[in-house]
Amino acid sequence: METSTPRVTCPYLNSYVGKNVMVVGKVAQIRGEDAIIDADGNISCKLNRDAHLVPGNGVQVIGKVNPDLSLKVLSSLDLGTSVDYNLANTVVEISHQHKGLFAYE
Amino acid sequence: MTSYGGYQRTGYGAQGGDEGGGFMSGSQQGSQGQSKRSTIDEYLRPVTIKQILDAKASYSESEIAIDGFPISTVTLVGQVRSVNPQTTNITYKIDDGTGGTIDVKKWVDLEKSESGTETPFSLDTWVRVLGRLTSFNGKIHVGAHHVRVIDDYNEVSYHLLEATYVHLCISKGLPGGPWPQKEGAAVGGGGDSDSMFIDSGNGYGGDSAATNARVASCSRQAKSLYQFMQSDPRSIEGINIADVMATSGMSKRDVLAAADELLGNGIVYTTVDDETWAILET
Repeated sequence: METSTPRVTCPYLNSYVGKNVMVVGKVAQIRGEDAIIDADGNISCKLNRDAHLVPGNGVQVIGKVNPDLSLKVLSSLDLGTSVDYNLANTVVEISHQHKGLFAYE
Repeated sequence: MTSYGGYQRTGYGAQGGDEGGGFMSGSQQGSQGQSKRSTIDEYLRPVTIKQILDAKASYSESEIAIDGFPISTVTLVGQVRSVNPQTTNITYKIDDGTGGTIDVKKWVDLEKSESGTETPFSLDTWVRVLGRLTSFNGKIHVGAHHVRVIDDYNEVSYHLLEATYVHLCISKGLPGGPWPQKEGAAVGGGGDSDSMFIDSGNGYGGDSAATNARVASCSRQAKSLYQFMQSDPRSIEGINIADVMATSGMSKRDVLAAADELLGNGIVYTTVDDETWAILET
């Protein structure tokens, strides 16, 4: 019943293939239904219909990691322009160091 | 550095009176066990939702424990996943990505709702919740005192780091080492003053236990400054920032931050100008 959506950045993706994850990053590019999100590296995302991404803004996406390490977006949330990406990346690092607080295996 | 002050309080209190010197609550708890409940209530702990869900396992009677610590008042962040308005309360399911959702019940303020100000939060918004953990039929929910929308996403990052920090303080002791073995301050001040002055490098030793108690809740810099001022006879008419910097080797920023903290705690006061301080004698 308990389902975590672990916070990850680009370098962590290959450990989460087939799982749902949460990514906080900057929208680098949008092309139709594809987008590139920069979260300590570029992640390509397949957007869903109701995704409203703004280039240059921060975004939080929850999605499933495909075998090719792209992300199938299930939900997205615009975070505006004032996101501290270093801080967000630090949270990812910390959450992997202390999984007891952040994720079910 | 100043901001550490708050954490240290949380840490100590939650450790159930390990410390000897500064805090009333700690010593009270030691001497009168029956006041346990009210002591718990004083602490507001930042937590992740997974910590709350895991707390179920160690739950017994009416007590909910995280890291082996009874806890009742918590603050958490999460995205609203469902809203269920009822006549007396609104139940939100909140998710912070750490493992499932938790129910947050916000009681409807009847006076407010008549004037129509109580509107539920919309789905997927990040909110900050402040409330009390309540266990009902083996299921934990949060009785919210306060729920508000988070405008700045960095608050979410901040909260998760804060929750980790507090968890680590409680399970491993505070960083830097001097505070967890807090007996030092009350018994002799020896251990405490040693570690305190490694940084300032001047070795103002010989502080009494009483002095330490006065600045026990302050940051290390504030303690150093206090110590320095105490050791200086000029402190009656006040010591200027230039003297502090020249003698103690602290940077201007550190001195100002330390002085600000001491001012805030009513331990020192400004004299001839804003950058000259004297100790307020008790």
